Amino acid sequence: MVARYIFRRILVGTVQILSLVIAVFFLIRLLPADPVSRFVGLNSSAEAYAQAERNLGLDRPLLTQLGHYLGVLPSEGPGLLQGSLGTSWVTGTPVLTEIGQALPITIELLTFAFAVALLISVPVGMLAALRPGGAADRGVFAYSLFAGSQPEFWWGLLFVYVFFFVLGWAPAPLGVLSPLTSPPPPVTGFITLDSLIAGRPDTLFEVLHHYMLPVATMVFILSGPIIKMVRQNMVRALGSDFVLYARCAGLPKGQVARYALRAAMAPSVTLIGILYGFMLGGAVLIESVFSLGGLGQYAIRSVLAFDYPAIQGVILVITAISLLVYLALDLIHAVIDPRVAYG
Amino acid sequence: MKADVAATQRTVLSVHNLRVRYDTPSGAVTPLRDFSLSIGEREVVGLIGDAGSGKSTAALAMMGLVRPPGRLISGQVLFGGQDLMEMDEDQLRALRGKDIGIIVQNPRSALNPMLRIGRQIGNVYRAHSDASAAAARDRAIEMLRLVGINDPERRVAAYAHELSGGMAQRALIAMALSSEPRLLIADEPTSGLDVTIQAQFLDQMWDSVQQTGSAILLISQDLGIIANYCDRVAVLHDGRIVEDRPARDFFAAPEHPYSRDILGLQRAAASGVARTSEPVAPGEPLVEVTALAKAFPIHGSDKVVQALQSVDLSVGPGETLGLVGESGSGKTTVGRCLLRLEEPTSGDITYRGAPISGIPKEALRAFRRKIQIVFQDPYDSLNPRWTIRRVLQEPLDLHTRLGKAEKTARIRDLLEMVGLDQALIDDKPRGLGASAMQRLNIARAIAVDPEFIVLDEPTSVLAPQAVTGLIALLRKLQKELGLSYLFISHDLTTVRFLCHRVAVMYLGQIVEVGRVGQVFEDPQHPYARALLSAHLFPDPTRRRVDQDVPESLSGEIPSPVDLPRGCYLAGRCPFAVDRCRSEAQPLVALEDGRQVRCWRVIEGDLEGAA
Repeated sequence: MVARYIFRRILVGTVQILSLVIAVFFLIRLLPADPVSRFVGLNSSAEAYAQAERNLGLDRPLLTQLGHYLGVLPSEGPGLLQGSLGTSWVTGTPVLTEIGQALPITIELLTFAFAVALLISVPVGMLAALRPGGAADRGVFAYSLFAGSQPEFWWGLLFVYVFFFVLGWAPAPLGVLSPLTSPPPPVTGFITLDSLIAGRPDTLFEVLHHYMLPVATMVFILSGPIIKMVRQNMVRALGSDFVLYARCAGLPKGQVARYALRAAMAPSVTLIGILYGFMLGGAVLIESVFSLGGLGQYAIRSVLAFDYPAIQGVILVITAISLLVYLALDLIHAVIDPRVAYG
Repeated sequence: MKADVAATQRTVLSVHNLRVRYDTPSGAVTPLRDFSLSIGEREVVGLIGDAGSGKSTAALAMMGLVRPPGRLISGQVLFGGQDLMEMDEDQLRALRGKDIGIIVQNPRSALNPMLRIGRQIGNVYRAHSDASAAAARDRAIEMLRLVGINDPERRVAAYAHELSGGMAQRALIAMALSSEPRLLIADEPTSGLDVTIQAQFLDQMWDSVQQTGSAILLISQDLGIIANYCDRVAVLHDGRIVEDRPARDFFAAPEHPYSRDILGLQRAAASGVARTSEPVAPGEPLVEVTALAKAFPIHGSDKVVQALQSVDLSVGPGETLGLVGESGSGKTTVGRCLLRLEEPTSGDITYRGAPISGIPKEALRAFRRKIQIVFQDPYDSLNPRWTIRRVLQEPLDLHTRLGKAEKTARIRDLLEMVGLDQALIDDKPRGLGASAMQRLNIARAIAVDPEFIVLDEPTSVLAPQAVTGLIALLRKLQKELGLSYLFISHDLTTVRFLCHRVAVMYLGQIVEVGRVGQVFEDPQHPYARALLSAHLFPDPTRRRVDQDVPESLSGEIPSPVDLPRGCYLAGRCPFAVDRCRSEAQPLVALEDGRQVRCWRVIEGDLEGAA
């Protein structure tokens, strides 16, 4: 049952990704942009222009280009089907390699940030829900208004100023490792895991130290909406008949709280998934402030350079990860709430 | 005070001068002002009162609980000599669920949707004992068996949404009785259950409580339930108990004016004003339905829900036909087809001899003027932003060419006819209360002089005393205006009082139709028999618990998607034989004029069978 459901979801997801890839392929080419002249310069000779166009493969018919990208034309070399996302027009490196470097950083950033944000937000949201209108509730309201009303890069800069410049607690916002440290040999691509595998706790500590400030910034931003959502769902759960009945039945306080929390978490899970998917590309401002070199930064760089294969690659990867995250959270939702049917 | 001292020997719980207040932004509300009540050992006390009179608040307050933002202001709740109001949270917790158990209306929302019911019952049991998880599970199974759930070993693993309403209510009572409380508070335990299921459940509750030796406080708006199961009746009105007497005395001679109001309908019915004696004007039927069928396709499937099958009925001028049956039996669909709110799948409906399916769109408005409907929920069927004037003027604007002054005069007339104050004309219906709103709905229905009104459970959300008034109003209007009614209801007491003839529906078919006297006094079809025997008439001298109730229907109602091949009742019927399961049953007239859909009745097989 569950296996069939997962299989079907993945199948549908693959179709969705493929449609998106094709749509993006054409949409990019509709842009009023001329990537060729961006590479050869506006004053180049017609010959150089034609040469560059040929090199980028833009001289061929659109469908041939698409076929090449998808990998259904064996004569043209490997494409999507063969597991290739093409080569970046800017760097000449395979897009897959580049994303392979940028993506783990973003995922590490987001995972740490979400984990910490949940650890903080769930108890705080519960506390606020216990006494709606009480001190905790009003504090939470003021905080989420305050944190959410100002852009994250501003908070990032402020944190850098306070914690790096003034207090000196955090390292310089220049990536995940100081320039003098050599990175651990890549195994998984995740630098924290790789440091562990390489047996270098000092490097691990350094990486975590570097992640401290960007994660703190994100937690600061994310906690507002998550607390509000947990609070809202918790208030509803606490007011529900079955919580009242649990009290009527004389269940211990802790058990009543667990009944309510479980009911409150089920709908929250979905929203957290959506936030996560959104942040994959949306963490770009924080990545930029702290020069982390994550996926968001890579996406912006590619768009500004009209690097078509890179843009397509980023969209494909973000979509695929989002779909997997949604699937995982739907499965978690179903574990929490038995009313969710696999349909 | 002397009486109090004597009573403590055998009193389980007593409440003295309890006051509960809700501080809302729009001011303080005090549902309980000066509430006092005591319940003795093994006693069954009924608590009645209007919707919103504070019955549920009282139930919770007896456990020292109140829904936020309410507060217990003053008073005493004495249980075993201790005052709950003085206890701390831990003492209260230990008491709730152990010494006082409660079951509530809407059992499915009172069960945790995310835990298996066995686990929930076990949790409650373990909260009051030091049982192990395995012992708690055994206890859950034992309790489920006690409350009459088949196959409890399997049911402990079910979630609340997988249970039917009756089953969920049983699970709740299993939970409430698991620690053998000395008092069980049952707050409208059967609201939302079908009558045949309701009777099964109440009997089971009665038995279980007899076995565990608890006292019961039974809160209900249904006088039938109170009369059949309670030893004593307390009437909650205006935040206080206004009458508190043994059930027989109460039903025989209520003292408080409010109690007399509540009992009015039962009185009237008993004093012989029931409709059976009134002659019905002979002549052509006004509305005639032949072989009506309606199927609803199921989305994303090629199956259909068979809502109606071969329904035949007719309503004469000035006549009231009652349509009774449990939820899902197709009553409402019949009414909607008559108004062409729903297009039948097949069959004919004629109005004054002319088929209504042939009425072209342009003429539909003129037709609808003659046939009106009053819906179940008065709140949902009135636009709360409109004034009463506007509500009543709308049909006049649509169907008449009256001038402004004439319309106002007509609206005032209508208000008077339905017994509403003419001064309300420019108010909004919001503050009126269910009963007055339903009167307004009736005024709207009769505004353009219809001949036929479909009344779709118009009394089901009203308090007993409001029901009496509404039924009297409907009878008055029928007499004055010569109206015909199709009265759809599951409340047999009101049907008996308002209707000339009655049709009993089961799973989209009429199984028996005849004069009210015939069907109520001597039902023939096994389903009609079960329905009538399950109905609790408010008469404490013929209590169900004091009698041997004849073998009733068993099991659950089949799904209208996969209907049985033969008689639809065969799976539940105590009289079913092989032929019933293979042969579809036609509706056949008996000698006395009624029609029955059961070959065994027609051949006289069941005569004398109880």
